[in-house]
Amino acid sequence: MRGLPSRPVLPEPFPPGFRALLREILSRGPRLPGERVERPSRRHTALGNSGTFAGHRPYVRGDDLRRIDWAAYARSSELFVMQLEEEERRAATVLLDLSPRLCVGEPPRRLAALRLAAVIGGLALRHLDGLTVLAPGAGRAAISTFTGAAELDRLLQHFVDLPFVAVAPRDAVGLLLSRGIGGRVHWISDFADPVACESALVLLRRRGGRATGWLPALPEDREPPRLGYMRVVDPESGEWLTLSVDRTLRDAMRRQLEVLRRSQDRVFAQCGHVLARWSAPAADDFGWPSYEEVVRRCQS
Amino acid sequence: MPELTLTHPDRLWWLLLLLPLLLLLAWPPRPRRIAWTAHLPQWRTAMAGLRRRPPRVWSLRTLLMLLIAGFGVFAAAGLVRVGQPGPDRLVVALDASASMAARTATGETAFELARRRLASELATLPEHVDVTVLRCGGPALRRRGASARALQDLGPAAGAQSVDLAALAREVVDAGGEETVLWTLTDGQGQRALPASGALSVLGSPVRNAAVLEVRLVDHWPLPELELEADFIACGDGALEATVGVAGAIDAVADSPLALQYGEVQTVRWSLRRVAAGGRLSVTVALAGDALAEDDRWTVQLPPLPAPRIAVLADEEAGPFAVVAAAALAAEVGGEVVPAAAGAEVGLLLVDGGEVALAPGRARALCFGSRYPGGGAAEPWLRPGALDWARDHPLTAGLDLSELQVEAASAETLPAGEPFLFGERAGERRPLAVVSGGDDLASVHFAFRLQDGNLPLLAAFPQLLRRSFVRCYGSAAAVVPLSAPPAAGEQDLWQRAAGRDRPLPALGTPDLDLGPWLILAGLLLLAVRAWLR
Repeated sequence: MRGLPSRPVLPEPFPPGFRALLREILSRGPRLPGERVERPSRRHTALGNSGTFAGHRPYVRGDDLRRIDWAAYARSSELFVMQLEEEERRAATVLLDLSPRLCVGEPPRRLAALRLAAVIGGLALRHLDGLTVLAPGAGRAAISTFTGAAELDRLLQHFVDLPFVAVAPRDAVGLLLSRGIGGRVHWISDFADPVACESALVLLRRRGGRATGWLPALPEDREPPRLGYMRVVDPESGEWLTLSVDRTLRDAMRRQLEVLRRSQDRVFAQCGHVLARWSAPAADDFGWPSYEEVVRRCQS
Repeated sequence: MPELTLTHPDRLWWLLLLLPLLLLLAWPPRPRRIAWTAHLPQWRTAMAGLRRRPPRVWSLRTLLMLLIAGFGVFAAAGLVRVGQPGPDRLVVALDASASMAARTATGETAFELARRRLASELATLPEHVDVTVLRCGGPALRRRGASARALQDLGPAAGAQSVDLAALAREVVDAGGEETVLWTLTDGQGQRALPASGALSVLGSPVRNAAVLEVRLVDHWPLPELELEADFIACGDGALEATVGVAGAIDAVADSPLALQYGEVQTVRWSLRRVAAGGRLSVTVALAGDALAEDDRWTVQLPPLPAPRIAVLADEEAGPFAVVAAAALAAEVGGEVVPAAAGAEVGLLLVDGGEVALAPGRARALCFGSRYPGGGAAEPWLRPGALDWARDHPLTAGLDLSELQVEAASAETLPAGEPFLFGERAGERRPLAVVSGGDDLASVHFAFRLQDGNLPLLAAFPQLLRRSFVRCYGSAAAVVPLSAPPAAGEQDLWQRAAGRDRPLPALGTPDLDLGPWLILAGLLLLAVRAWLR
C-alpha cells in the first residue's frame, strides 16, 4: 500500500515472563472441561448417516437434520438424533483468526489472541486428551494437532510461526467442519463482521458444534481515536478513509462501536454459542489477575 | 452593469501556467496521522450518518481553488471598473479682497459665506479630485491637496483685489483643458466682468460703504500740538450723510457731519492738542447701512510727551554756552531749565566738559567734551582739520555745518556709537560726535566742549539741539500706526460685476482597481478552503 506505514511489528508473543505465567496457570489452574467427541470415521463422514448405529440422543437446535431418526419420532413424537459408532476421547479445538486486521491496537489484538490461544491450548494439553489448532489460510499449518503437556513448547512455536492471512468466517468454519469437530471449539477472533460470522456460527451449530467466541477486547473497541485530521486504514483490505475527527464524528463512531458490540453479542446468543470478551492486558503484563478471567471461563 | 476592462490582459495566459499548480493543489491535504483500524466499516457508517464525505479531488475545495487562482490572475491582469469621464482637477479662485469682509443679509461676511460653501462642497468631492485653492486679493496664497481641502491658513479677507478673475479663469481653462474645472467665489466687487467659464458663486449684494481713505498727521512732539488731515469716501445709494470724528488721547473734539458724494474723496482737517500721557488716536466715519466696518476707522498710538526739563552740568572752565544752549533748547521744546540735582527727574541732561558719572547710551544726555568713567585718556587734538558731517544722518541731514571750527577736541573720550561728525587727524578720518544707545534711549556725545569751537554760534545749532533731544528719545517719540491703510479700490461695494451662479459640473470618477478586492476575496476563499475538508 503506497503511502501507508508498514504493518506494526508484533513484539515477542511468548517471552519468558509469559511462559512462566503460563506454567503457573497450568500447574494451579482449574480443570478444563472436556467433551466426549463423536469422531465418525472418514468413511462415515463421506456416507452421511450411514454407519454403525450406537444409540439416540435428544435433538437440540443446530443438529444436522439428516441425522434425525424419523422412525423414532413417529413412535414417540419426540425428535432424536442417531449417534453413530464413535471414537470417544476428550478434546478441544482452537480456531484462530489470522486476519491482518488483528495487528491493530495497543497492544496488538493479535498478540492478545496468541497468548489467549496459548492459555487455552495449554490448559487443553494439560487436562484433555488432545488439542486441534485450526489456522485457516496458513497452508500446511492450517490444521495441527497436539497431545500432552509435553507439546506445549511446540504449540507455542506453532503459534509464533503462523502468518497473517485473511479468511472469511464461513471458510474458517468450513475447514473446521471438514476436519471434524474435535470437542469444544474456541474461536479466537475480533468478529469485526458479525453478519459474516452469523452464517458460520449457524452452520457450526447445525453440525452439532459448540463454540466459545473469544474476543480480545481493546480500548479502541470503545473509544475512537483523538480529534484531528487523519487517515484510517484497514490492514486487511488496504482500504483507507481520510477523516477530520471532531467531537460529533467521535460521538457517532462511539455509537457505531456500541452497535458493533451489541451485534456481536446478538449473533452469538441467537446461534447458541458463547461470546467471551476478554480485556487484553498490556504487552508486558504477565500478572495472574489479567488471565484469571480466561481460566475461569475455560472452567465454566 | 459596470464596464470592466483589463489593464494587462496578456497576463491571462498565466492561467495556463497555473494549471499544473492547480492540479497539484486540488488534491486534498495529506493527513499527518495515519492509524490502522479494525473498524473501517463503522467509520464509514458514522460518516454517512453525519452526511459527511471524505475529501475528494473534485470537490468544493477544488472549486474554491479554481476561484482563488482565477481571482489572482484577474488581479494580476489589472481588472478595473471603468470610471465616468470628466474633469478630475478643481481650481478654486477664492476672492479674499477686503470687500469680501462686508456683511451679507445673513449676518455673515461674504468671505465666511464663501468658506462655508467651499468647505461643504469640498467635503463631498471624491478623493481622486485634485483640489487647488487660489486666494485672490490681499496676500496671494495657493493651497493644494489636503491643505486645500482643509482650507488651511487662508487668512481673513483683506487687501486689494489685484487679480482679474475673468482673465484668471481663461488662463486656468486654457492651461488645464478638459480635465480642469474652475470654481470662482467672489462678490464681484472691483471686477469688470465675471468669469465666463467654470462654476461661479457670486456672494452678497450691493451695499453702502464709507471709508477713511488716508490720514496725514503732523506731530509737533515734544509739543502737544497735532495737525490731522483725513480723506473720506462713501459709495451707495441716496444721500450719503456721514459723521466723521476724531477721538482718543486728545482734548475732546465733537463729531461733525459730512455730506459725501458718491465716489468723491473729501478731506477734513483738524488741529488737535493731545494729552501728555499719549495713547490711541482714532479717526472714524459712520454711515447708515455701512456694511464694511473694517475701513471705517484709522488708529495710531501717540507717544507720551516727555518731561521737557533740561538740566545743565558744566565744569568751572565752561563758558556760558551750555546754559545758553539749554535755555535755547527749552525754548524750542517748550520746556524749562532746572538745576542738576541728584534724584531729580529731567528730560535731558546737557553736559559741557568735565567728568560725569554717566553711562553712554543709558541716559538721555547731550555731552560736549565730557569724560566718562572707564573712558579713554583725554589726548588733545588741536584744530581738527577737514571737518565734515554725515549728510544722511537724522541729526545732521539738511544742516549746514560748513562754518564749524574746533580749536581742540579729545576723540578718545567719545564712547562707541554712531558717528555723524568727523575730523581728520594725521590723514585719518575720525569721529568728533557720535550717537550712543538704542532706538528708544540714546545719548549724543561731542568730542569737544562748546567753548572750544564755534558750534553754538552757528545757525544750525538750535536745530541740532532739538534733533538731538528727539533722537535721545528715539522711537519713544514716534507715532505708531495701528491701522493698515485701506485696500485700494475696495471701498465701492455698490457697483460691482453681476452674474448668475453656475454650479460645479459633474466631475469624473476614477477607474476603480478591483485588484485589492479580488485579492481579498481570494484570501477569504482560501480561509474557507482551509476550513473545509
